[in-house]
Amino acid sequence: MIVERLRGVAAVCRQIFGIPDYERYLRHMRTRHPQAPVLSERDYHANATDRKYGRNGSRCC
Amino acid sequence: MKTASSIALWVLIAIVGAFSLAALALGRGESVNAVWLVSAALCVYLIAYRFYSKYIAERVLRLDDSRPTPAVRHDDGMDYVPTNKWVLYGHHFAAIAGAGPLVGPVLAAQMGFLPGTMWILAGVVVAGAVQDFIVLFVSVRRDGKSLGEMIKIELGNTAGSFALVGVLAIMIIILAVLALVVVKALADSPWGLFTIAATIPIALLMGLYMRVVRPGKVGEASVIGVVLLLASIVYGRTVAGDAVLAPIFTLTGPQLAWALIIYGAVAASLPVWLMLAPRDYLSTFLKIGTVVALAIGIYVVAPTLAMPRTTRFIDGSGPVFSGALFPFLFITIACGAVSGFHALISSGTTPKMIEKESHMRFIGYGGMLAESFVAIMALTAACVLDPGVYFAMNAPAAVIGTTAANAAQVISSWGFTITPDMINQTAVDIGEKTILSRAGGAPTLAVGMAQILAQALGGKAMEAFWYHFAILFEALFILTAVDAGTRVGRFMIQDMLGHVYKPLGNTEFLPANLVGTGLCVALWGYFLYQGVVDPLGGINTLWQLFGVGNQMLAGIALLLCTSVLVKMKRERYVWVTLVPAAWLLITTLTAGVEKIFHPDPKIGFLALARRFSAAAAEGTVLAPAKTITEMQRVAFNNYLDAVVCGVFVLLVVAMAYFALRISLQALKQTRPTAHEIPSPVEVAAA
Repeated sequence: MIVERLRGVAAVCRQIFGIPDYERYLRHMRTRHPQAPVLSERDYHANATDRKYGRNGSRCC
Repeated sequence: MKTASSIALWVLIAIVGAFSLAALALGRGESVNAVWLVSAALCVYLIAYRFYSKYIAERVLRLDDSRPTPAVRHDDGMDYVPTNKWVLYGHHFAAIAGAGPLVGPVLAAQMGFLPGTMWILAGVVVAGAVQDFIVLFVSVRRDGKSLGEMIKIELGNTAGSFALVGVLAIMIIILAVLALVVVKALADSPWGLFTIAATIPIALLMGLYMRVVRPGKVGEASVIGVVLLLASIVYGRTVAGDAVLAPIFTLTGPQLAWALIIYGAVAASLPVWLMLAPRDYLSTFLKIGTVVALAIGIYVVAPTLAMPRTTRFIDGSGPVFSGALFPFLFITIACGAVSGFHALISSGTTPKMIEKESHMRFIGYGGMLAESFVAIMALTAACVLDPGVYFAMNAPAAVIGTTAANAAQVISSWGFTITPDMINQTAVDIGEKTILSRAGGAPTLAVGMAQILAQALGGKAMEAFWYHFAILFEALFILTAVDAGTRVGRFMIQDMLGHVYKPLGNTEFLPANLVGTGLCVALWGYFLYQGVVDPLGGINTLWQLFGVGNQMLAGIALLLCTSVLVKMKRERYVWVTLVPAAWLLITTLTAGVEKIFHPDPKIGFLALARRFSAAAAEGTVLAPAKTITEMQRVAFNNYLDAVVCGVFVLLVVAMAYFALRISLQALKQTRPTAHEIPSPVEVAAA
């Protein structure tokens, strides 16, 4: 119960701070594309970080 | 029953707001408590959000939850993710809040606390929040397209190319001015420089941890990073007192400028995971944490504002920046009232995460209100300081000299009584050698924050720690912005170079990347260096160039929104965007033209350039230049600034022309001509 609550808090924090969320990605792949191969945690993070700071990585002053 | 209590509540909020504003604006001489400032701001935000943003959402934009948003249509679990409204609010706020709302209000405090407060509040309600909200709306209805793409689609290809050049020019100036803020804060400050330097190995360590040791464990790495950061602030005091280490970390302005230029070039060439990503996390945590701490601090301490309502410097003779209240207040406070850069965020990641159209009101309009509140807190922190200390920190050395005795005498002659002892004591309290001429906002804000936080937590003994904490927090996210901004600038430069010589446009081609990065760093580095050696202190020139550029971008974004409203055949509501756009055009064009042509060399670039080149031709050397060559360089730099400012002015005029032409064409049409993704109803009908 408490663990679940903490997981929820962690997920919210990840979204607010823009941290790539592997669990969310896994859930998405399970529900939407159950047949497709999934990235490993390492590959997912490498990929997400590169995209986050890619071309549209503009931020505010 | 519910309506009656709701009416009573809003009447109460209106009364509290009106009373707070009256306490701020009226009354003679007696000092005002900062709580009035904060409560006036909160009431204005609540009322604006409840009524004006609702009007915009329901009548003007007619948000429609039956239209699927880009996040719903593309839901890919990566970029396009339908996100909880509150979570996205936090995310959007973290993306728009930067150094801007912290610096501008501090500089504007030289005119007293009232002008800045009034503009921040009026500006955000009528212009800033409206811009963020409607740009977000326009982008969501266009599949999350960026500002540049939307201008191209709605206003034409030429307008799109013009906007791109404008965005690049503003980027360069922003990077230069942000770097200048860091230089001003860290020059001759071994404690400050040590803690900032320590963030580099800390970030590298975190980067390796998240990539190699424990892939993706951002939380663990961040805890390690934050602990090490705090340790580096504590150890910084030892460094500053060490006979061997202190000289290593004591750099002059020009040395720091070079260090930053080299840092920018190297950092932007490293892989993002190694330094940019970990630093970005650290700075986001610190940013949110500090903003919250400051809000609590102001509430707990309830300090009085030492700065008067208005000072004599509204006439334009101020030492921090030159120029009268109109138009210069309105370009000095950019972010916090209205910021063009937000148009890039509102058309960047946020539109790809909106779950329902109706959420945009809270995220777009409400997010900007929070940013405005940050600006109000920055203004509060600056106005809590003794005005004498404020001017000692913000006036250039050319005006107040380089000794505490001299500075105290000059500042007291302005009517802000201060003794050399007070100036020296402030420096001792924050653990620095001197506080004189540390313009740029960050140090002033840091002293104000240190005084507030020390009263709330830790007392006098903690003041030096809080000061360096505040400097670290600002420098950290400025350095992150320099790194990320250089990368974005590189992409834009490579895009443009690609049109001239194809291989240079290839972002996967290392030599081309190095050329792009080098060019970008050289451009902002040039303006940075020029600012560091500027006779009037650099901020006076660069911050105003930035202000003109940023407000101009906001004007362009609002012009786009205006044209889109007309194209949607909502022309009867066009005043919602046209009024703020017109105000931004009036202030930026007046300020831009005055910056170029004003006969006073303190304001006009050309007047200053002519004065220096005329003196150089006669062989006389004007301070602070020491040689004829330096004289010629000052003249050249001011001609260059005049050209940049001129480009901004012409760009605004051109965009206004494009928007007007398109709007007039759309007015003649009987059906909507905006390029929206059709709604399900429209699809079914077709």
